[in-house]
Amino acid sequence: MNRRDRVLHAAAIKRHAPPAAIAALAGVPLAEAQAELDAAVATGRAIEARGAYALTPLAGVALQARYAHQFADLRDDAGFRGAYDGFERINTTLKQIVTDWQTLDVGGKKVANDHSDKAHDEGVIDRLGGLHEQAEPILAKLAQGLPRLKYYGDKLLSALESAEDGDHDWVSDIRRDSYHTVWFELHEELLRIMGREREE
Amino acid sequence: MPSPKLPIDSARHAKPPVSPLVEATVDLVREAVRQRFAESGMTWDEFVFAGSDRLVTTEDMRAVEARILASGHRFDWSAGISVAERPEVYKSAGGVADDGAGFAHPDAPTGEADAQGRALRGAGDNVVRHKQDVSGTALYIRSNDRVLDLLSNGVPPGTIAIIDDSGGTLTAPIIDQFTGVICAGGTVRSHLGILTREYNIPCLMNAKVTGIREGDRVLIEATADAKTTEDYQQGVERTAKVWVLAEAAA
Repeated sequence: MNRRDRVLHAAAIKRHAPPAAIAALAGVPLAEAQAELDAAVATGRAIEARGAYALTPLAGVALQARYAHQFADLRDDAGFRGAYDGFERINTTLKQIVTDWQTLDVGGKKVANDHSDKAHDEGVIDRLGGLHEQAEPILAKLAQGLPRLKYYGDKLLSALESAEDGDHDWVSDIRRDSYHTVWFELHEELLRIMGREREE
Repeated sequence: MPSPKLPIDSARHAKPPVSPLVEATVDLVREAVRQRFAESGMTWDEFVFAGSDRLVTTEDMRAVEARILASGHRFDWSAGISVAERPEVYKSAGGVADDGAGFAHPDAPTGEADAQGRALRGAGDNVVRHKQDVSGTALYIRSNDRVLDLLSNGVPPGTIAIIDDSGGTLTAPIIDQFTGVICAGGTVRSHLGILTREYNIPCLMNAKVTGIREGDRVLIEATADAKTTEDYQQGVERTAKVWVLAEAAA
């Protein structure tokens, strides 16, 4: 991928994000990413709203059309495909863990977790730690196929460590690079690389 | 199958087309040609002079148009006859208008207005139980254009989004601005369920609704019991209702 595509690709994964976040994911210096985003806005390929950028539909279509060629080697690589399948398998568990993090059983009813039950919270974070151990060899294999993907492994580990240290917003807060935020972006990245559609 | 190189791939310093529509079209055509070329087993010269007319088909080009339309893009037109003949592919002659067609699920539970003026229009799986039901104005969000418009101009206060995007692919950037969400697909563990719980926004998944028009004032039974993992495993029906309180002005 050239620099332009790396920036557009990162913007697509981030959906609506400030330039610094797009630049970090793309692995492109901020000033260069900003220049690409400015050019994209000027030619109808992105819109800027509240300091964050989103691709327009046509820019998204063009980007997707280039993936088959750009990612052909990875789609053909049995090791990478195996790692992707492994990710999809544990993705189901991750969604269950995050759901359990967000909810609490009160008298048999699922209500929003107010995080008053420390034992419940710690139990869920332990499960998240266990899931991360399963994820590590998968993440390593993915980064072996495409070194840029190391970004996600680093971010996931950092979020997990912060959550384990007691800052619980790092589990699933949407406004930061929480474990769930980064996981979701990695899933989006992998779907794009493999040419698959998200199921739900 | 490895992806073959086309001569155009060597044009390293060619700038992308100025128009995003041209770029999308060119890239989609190139993708189709590359695939047909790879399947042909021919050399490039053979493919160009003896294969491409036959191997790259009208259907391939129809698929290019379909992908562009599926993104929500609608073509500009220069003569009104174009819109009259193929209204589904051109920008509306009357400006940006939603087609207004809402979801019509055949299994949606419905009923006449009850004593409180609530007309049942459907039900869905509650992602988490809230202390109060929530009401707002129905807004269908099914196209990227609409999302971009809402991103730029903001989501009107009190909006209940009606969508079929259980992955949150389309609506993630604006989800925090909704008062409630009714989603026609997915389960309470879908990504959209996770997002709405995180924002504490009432949300029904797997919703079967019918007869809700854009602008209708709707009420979601957010106080209903949430559907659990066990419910899904055991096939237990546990739903929250959706009512229309007042219809949109015609």
